[in-house]
Amino acid sequence: MSQPSLADIVSHIHSLPAMPAVALELLQTLSGGDPDVDALASRIARDQAITARVLRVANSPFYGLQMRVGSIHDAIVVLGFSAVRSLVLTSAVVTTLPAGKCAGFSADRFWRHVLGTAVAAQALARPLRRKPESLFIAGLLHDIGRLVMLSANPEGFARVIQIATERDCHLVDVEAEIFGCDHTAVGAAIAQHWNFPAEIVEALAFHHNPAQTAPGSLAAIIHYADGIAKALDLEGAENTQMARLQLAAIDALGLDWQTLTAVLAETHGRFEAHLPLLG
Amino acid sequence: MSDALERPLDEVQPGMALAAAVVDRNGQVLLPAGLTLAENHIESLRRRGIDKLSITPPEAPDAKARQREAARARVMHIFRHTADDPAAQPLLHAVLAFREEQLK
Repeated sequence: MSQPSLADIVSHIHSLPAMPAVALELLQTLSGGDPDVDALASRIARDQAITARVLRVANSPFYGLQMRVGSIHDAIVVLGFSAVRSLVLTSAVVTTLPAGKCAGFSADRFWRHVLGTAVAAQALARPLRRKPESLFIAGLLHDIGRLVMLSANPEGFARVIQIATERDCHLVDVEAEIFGCDHTAVGAAIAQHWNFPAEIVEALAFHHNPAQTAPGSLAAIIHYADGIAKALDLEGAENTQMARLQLAAIDALGLDWQTLTAVLAETHGRFEAHLPLLG
Repeated sequence: MSDALERPLDEVQPGMALAAAVVDRNGQVLLPAGLTLAENHIESLRRRGIDKLSITPPEAPDAKARQREAARARVMHIFRHTADDPAAQPLLHAVLAFREEQLK
């Protein structure tokens, strides 16, 4: 059987339901510029499923608001555009991208892992003096290549899972054997196709190999956030195993012991608060 | 709770928790289930002629230790191929400390 090329796999993106236009527009506002917040808020508010999930999280004790917020507009006023954008994007991505089906694949665990990585990256923002939102989004999308691989070739992906289970190794170590490329290449190609900011494309491409990027890059942060989500057992899979971490990339982040333990506690709290976004 | 203990009021100490509500002869609830008893609760029950209480058994001292051991074993399972990897050391030790803290 000949292996499909990266282009073949990525062409499957057209068979996926489109990301809602408003979600893509929100992603593009990450690159900067001056978004028309009012217009975006009105458009988000038209999607009732997304609105309901976002308001549930905004009103959770985690955000500690004095009053309940009842609309996307209010949520933006109280929490700020950036925070609401992250919540809306998560909800949009989870509701529109197909969970996909193949033997051994659990959509629930997939979303729990990426949400865990997103909140871990967000918890790293303060000590690293970075803006939390692009960290959150990159964490949320870091494994998105897998969804496309799964949709392009469910039997192939089932085989990847089966072999990785037999060898007790990481999926990423097997993906290239079956698909000719791994989820980082597919994810980066999709991110480019969707015109994501360059930094997010790079994070998707190199989150397993941040040595290819500058010290302290978004890719390096997602690399560690992925490990933190696994260490905290957030996806709830029996066979979870720690990611292979790169010492130089992690040393370059310069986190001391006290900071790291605080990041773990914060990640745990944020994860619980944001679970309603998964429905 | 099935493993609640019936205790004579004389043996009940402040700090013990009620496994079931205390009701008087007319079925009126005097104290709710789950309440942690204080000295004045015990006195007032004595005045009302209550002589037995259903108490939640204290957690066995080794139950916490077992929980801690299970949490630690789970962390070591996740780090099963990386426990000796220098890159994973800080995270391994931080997550072990975090689990200890959670189970205090």
